[in-house]
Amino acid sequence: MLGIDDPQIWVVYILCVLSAIGCMIYGALNWNKGAEDEEVE
Amino acid sequence: MVLNTAILGITVLIYLMIVFYLGWLGYKRTKAIDDYMVAGRNIHPYILALSYGATFISTSAIVGFGGAAGALGMGLLWLALMNIVVGIFIAFVIFGSRTRKMGKNLQAVTFPELLGKRFNSRFIQGFSGILIGIFMPLYTGIVLIGGARFVETTLGINYDVALMILTIIVAAYVITGGLIAVMYTDALQGTLMFVGMAILLVFTYVRLGGVVEAHQALTNIAYLVPESLVKGGHMGWTAMPEFGSPIWWNLVSTLVLGVGIGVLAQPQLVVRFMTVKDDKALNRAVFVGGPFILMMTGVAFTVGALSNAYFFQKKDMISLAVAGGNTDLIIPEFINSAMPEMFVVLFMLVLLAAAMSTLSSQYHTMGTAIGHDFYRQYIKKGKISHTVDVTKIGIALTILASVVLAYVLPISIIAPATSIFFGLCAAAFLPMYIGAIFWKRMTKEGAIASMLVGTFSSLSWLAFVHAKEAAPLGISQALFGKATLLTGTWTVVDPILVATPLAMLTGIVVSLFTSPIAKEHLEKCFYKIR
Repeated sequence: MLGIDDPQIWVVYILCVLSAIGCMIYGALNWNKGAEDEEVE
Repeated sequence: MVLNTAILGITVLIYLMIVFYLGWLGYKRTKAIDDYMVAGRNIHPYILALSYGATFISTSAIVGFGGAAGALGMGLLWLALMNIVVGIFIAFVIFGSRTRKMGKNLQAVTFPELLGKRFNSRFIQGFSGILIGIFMPLYTGIVLIGGARFVETTLGINYDVALMILTIIVAAYVITGGLIAVMYTDALQGTLMFVGMAILLVFTYVRLGGVVEAHQALTNIAYLVPESLVKGGHMGWTAMPEFGSPIWWNLVSTLVLGVGIGVLAQPQLVVRFMTVKDDKALNRAVFVGGPFILMMTGVAFTVGALSNAYFFQKKDMISLAVAGGNTDLIIPEFINSAMPEMFVVLFMLVLLAAAMSTLSSQYHTMGTAIGHDFYRQYIKKGKISHTVDVTKIGIALTILASVVLAYVLPISIIAPATSIFFGLCAAAFLPMYIGAIFWKRMTKEGAIASMLVGTFSSLSWLAFVHAKEAAPLGISQALFGKATLLTGTWTVVDPILVATPLAMLTGIVVSLFTSPIAKEHLEKCFYKIR
């Protein structure tokens, strides 16, 4: 996979990219959530 | 290094002019204590994300750890994954939101103050402050030396002069502009770092003929790993080291867990959660922060490992041999040899920016720890009113201390400083910090006990057991005539795996046996925290 034999390495290579994309998805989905005026009392 | 000095000189000059402009902007916008200490609690999410990332990633994370990947291989990517998942996602989403709200509820302006006010203890604030004030200058010293060496080699300036120039420039904008200036300049530096590392990644893959081809080339030369590393468990640059071997322990316990988890309790990073207005800003910062860190450590570790394939094709040598055995030289050697000259100029600027962004935040944190937390709140019991003035003096003093340390201490003591500081923060602060924001039952006594046990067990492990620090420090040798008190695998187990759980356990047990904190105080702390 990806020219790497050890699954412990290619898995983490892919996970790094996915986690960064995950951060972007989380940020995009919550872009307008948690504004100061809508905080719970 | 042969570089077009005129181009480099002009580039650095333009960069410094923008830095000064941002520093001045910070000064103009600083009107009250909150502005100076926590950037007015109203910073833009983009600036927060880049400032957090640029502070997090110093020159040593790129050059030092990238070089380590050149020697150890792509297994370091587990650290990059930790940096993104723990350092960004968990830090912002799980810790950040509560930290921000509690900081606001308690009107805390520093990390030690947040802990001190949460547990109603000036001792916690003072002790945390002095701990940061003593150990952070060591960590700053190593960043400062790295930055000055860079200026020395690229601009051809004398090392002492380089050290002074770097110190004075950073000191000027940190002291006058406070955290606003620090974060604005961080954002500029972070942007430069992002662009530079992206170009580095693309160039490296292009040079090696593509992504899969590059990895395959690296896999194919696994037989070139030096005998000494093979004995330690090294199985090639695209493979994890042998499970349980010394290299595996070093990689997993010190690099991946020690640095990966230690980041949660770094005072200069925690304080940044208190610089934004609402959770919306934290959510938006995650959007920028994740890809940013991927571009920093992910790229540095991949490129560091791939440099072996490049040097093998060009010089029939592995990176470690090209760098003469010094892993710190792998990345610079690779950049100089593989990249076009214009990019070398840009990358030099990236490294300068990485050093300055980390330094500025360290100065600000040390100064507030000594001036505000230790002197004003603990020694003077909060009786003097000029927080900002005291902090400015604190910053000046700690800058002086780190410059003196950079000169006086031998490199063998300063070099492990980063891991000492990370380990200490993880043991002394992390259990108490988790308790502070998640566990209402944690008591003042529990927090104090956890902090003290964490501090002293971490320091003892470093001085007497963990060979990497114990041997150069020489304390164990002087007292007991042995380099380390324990032998075998213990000497490669990082203090974070011993001291942090110990401190956590102490905190829990002592808290359960002491009386809880008053309900009204908890209500104030946890106001609006679900």
